[in-house]
Amino acid sequence: MTTEQMAPNSSINLTSHDDVVRVEDLKVSFYTQLGVVRALNGVSFNIPRGRVLGIVGESGCGKSITGLSIMQLVVGAGRTEAGRIMFREYAGQEPPVNILDYGKNSPEMRKIRGNNISMIFQEPMSSLNPCYTIGNQIEEAILLHQTNDKSEASKRAIEVLNKVGMPNPARIAASYPHELSGGMRQRAMIAMALSCNPTLLIADEPTTALDVTTEAQILDLMRGLQSEIGTSIMFITHNMGVVAQMCDEVAVMYMGRVVERATVDDIFYEPRHPYTISLLQSIPRLGRRSGKLASIEGSVPDPYSTTPGCSFHPRCPVAIKGLCDTIEPQETIVDAAKGHTVRCHLNS
Amino acid sequence: MTTDDMLLEVRGLKKHFPIRTGLMRRVTGMVKAVDGINFHIHKGETLGLVGESGCGKSTAGRAILRLHEPTAGEIIFNDPVLGKIDVTQADRETMMKIRPNMQIIFQDPFTSLNPRLTVGQIVGEPLEIQHRASGSELSDRVAELLNEVGIRPENMTRYPHAFSGGQRQRIGIARALALNPSLIICDEPVSALDVSIQAQVLNLLDELQAKYGMAYLFIGHDLSVIEHISDRVAVMYVGYIVEMAKTDKLYFSPKHPYTEALLNAIPKADPRLRTRPERLLGDVPSPANPPSGCYFHPRCRYAKEICSVERPPLTDIGDEHYVACHFARELSLTGVQALSDIKLEMPAAKNV
Repeated sequence: MTTEQMAPNSSINLTSHDDVVRVEDLKVSFYTQLGVVRALNGVSFNIPRGRVLGIVGESGCGKSITGLSIMQLVVGAGRTEAGRIMFREYAGQEPPVNILDYGKNSPEMRKIRGNNISMIFQEPMSSLNPCYTIGNQIEEAILLHQTNDKSEASKRAIEVLNKVGMPNPARIAASYPHELSGGMRQRAMIAMALSCNPTLLIADEPTTALDVTTEAQILDLMRGLQSEIGTSIMFITHNMGVVAQMCDEVAVMYMGRVVERATVDDIFYEPRHPYTISLLQSIPRLGRRSGKLASIEGSVPDPYSTTPGCSFHPRCPVAIKGLCDTIEPQETIVDAAKGHTVRCHLNS
Repeated sequence: MTTDDMLLEVRGLKKHFPIRTGLMRRVTGMVKAVDGINFHIHKGETLGLVGESGCGKSTAGRAILRLHEPTAGEIIFNDPVLGKIDVTQADRETMMKIRPNMQIIFQDPFTSLNPRLTVGQIVGEPLEIQHRASGSELSDRVAELLNEVGIRPENMTRYPHAFSGGQRQRIGIARALALNPSLIICDEPVSALDVSIQAQVLNLLDELQAKYGMAYLFIGHDLSVIEHISDRVAVMYVGYIVEMAKTDKLYFSPKHPYTEALLNAIPKADPRLRTRPERLLGDVPSPANPPSGCYFHPRCRYAKEICSVERPPLTDIGDEHYVACHFARELSLTGVQALSDIKLEMPAAKNV
């Protein structure tokens, strides 16, 4: 943690100036041989400092691309077409930097990536290099960003492994990824991501590939570290249970847009968007066996097509003919104090 | 419960896979994937088989169909025509007669359908193999089956790649349904699907069971899904069933410490219920090198001396509640707390 972060900044307006990241109208498209996939159609949200923001949605809704965009890791056929990603390394930094102003491989971006903003991926096996020891891989980030002293780096790598609850961290540092179990690998990934004390941690479905008891261990660990270090977390997931247990705020995404954003309590107790409501209704609730699950009719549309009006209207049980299928709803404020916004004609 | 009601009885089923190493491929060890499990399924009921990855639940499902040749044990299937038959001893001809009554739905809808066959051919194949229908009769039956699972029959001539994951899983269900089986083994049929699609497929399985009365062996790792679909649930840990009971019993008053830990680990979909219960530490042991005594004892917080020495057998503690724990009658364990019922209402349509 940098000293600037520790310095009290009482004059700062918490709601707008203390966002770690503010994404504004982000548009990302993929130009493929089959056509253009509009992965993000104007995504806007903010991540308040020291909070956990959950990004929820079904596969293909653009949640991972949003995370990758912040890291500037969208490559290949992907193009960032519009929008800004304003990043404040420490509270009250004026002006904030627009990450998208930097080139993907620029020295500025390399300084931010892995140092100020780091990422944990879903598949811990494929995101670790099988040819290097766990220790080597953690040291790499430390040597790149923090210190030039190799023995200092390996000491820090063992420290950070200890912090993520690894039994016998020195032995783990000397072992290769294939020698560890799934849960252990994910701990190693978290250790690597936290090795440079990042301002923002992007966790892309970090527990999806894990079993339920291991998942619980990892979630406990992340919550503990979050309150200890104070890192802001962007938590990408499709599991509503994980959202309820981990996040402070939630952004629900559908077809490349944030359709609803609210505090975690409001998302579960006062949801406004028909998609959020349907999503909550369709999960089997533990300890409450009901006859039939409410399901959302149809499936997520083909990514190459564009839907006129509200992108959810073909599946929406309460869509209004002549309005929802023609005019795209704008973001409306439900509760300004709690930052509850929704994109739906029925709530405007 | 009368014995005629019994559809499937599994006794002491084992499936061991050899570990071969070295130039001579000598057997140097055994992975005891399934190590002596006992359970039964009544006609028309759903038994949920739940456990973490590597516990042997899928292997058990496949061994019942002899997709893996069982190492030991008996699988008594009550065939509607042939009566009770031990599947493990059946010859090729008898297997051919039993197979139509035991079908399977696989986990991954992207790899379980042949990409070179049309949907019509995929669903019609079992009917052809069993000489149940041909010609226009066959295509009528396929159309009927597709209708049943909510796929438009016009799509019969299309190939699997043209369908989404949920639709492919429906095609897999139609194929399993084709021969009117009395048992369908559902091997994690909804794990690869998104939540909204998962709900559609679960509802479909429920409806089909109500209509045709077949039994399901539903293999899964998601405890909320298992609770929703099952009449009874069996919990597996490292190749062994540790607890089996009626769903409500198992979820609200579990008797095995592993079941308790599993239930407590589920992230609850309610932000007002943020509990940090006692977590299970460590990892699932390898079935190639399991611990002594009760396989769960190194991670169990109630473990006593006897647990590391003697493996507890699966015993009935009354009312079809089976537990494999030395202290099943003494421990008082906590089950799930029912989540509060959050009322979710769609916004009312306004006049615009």
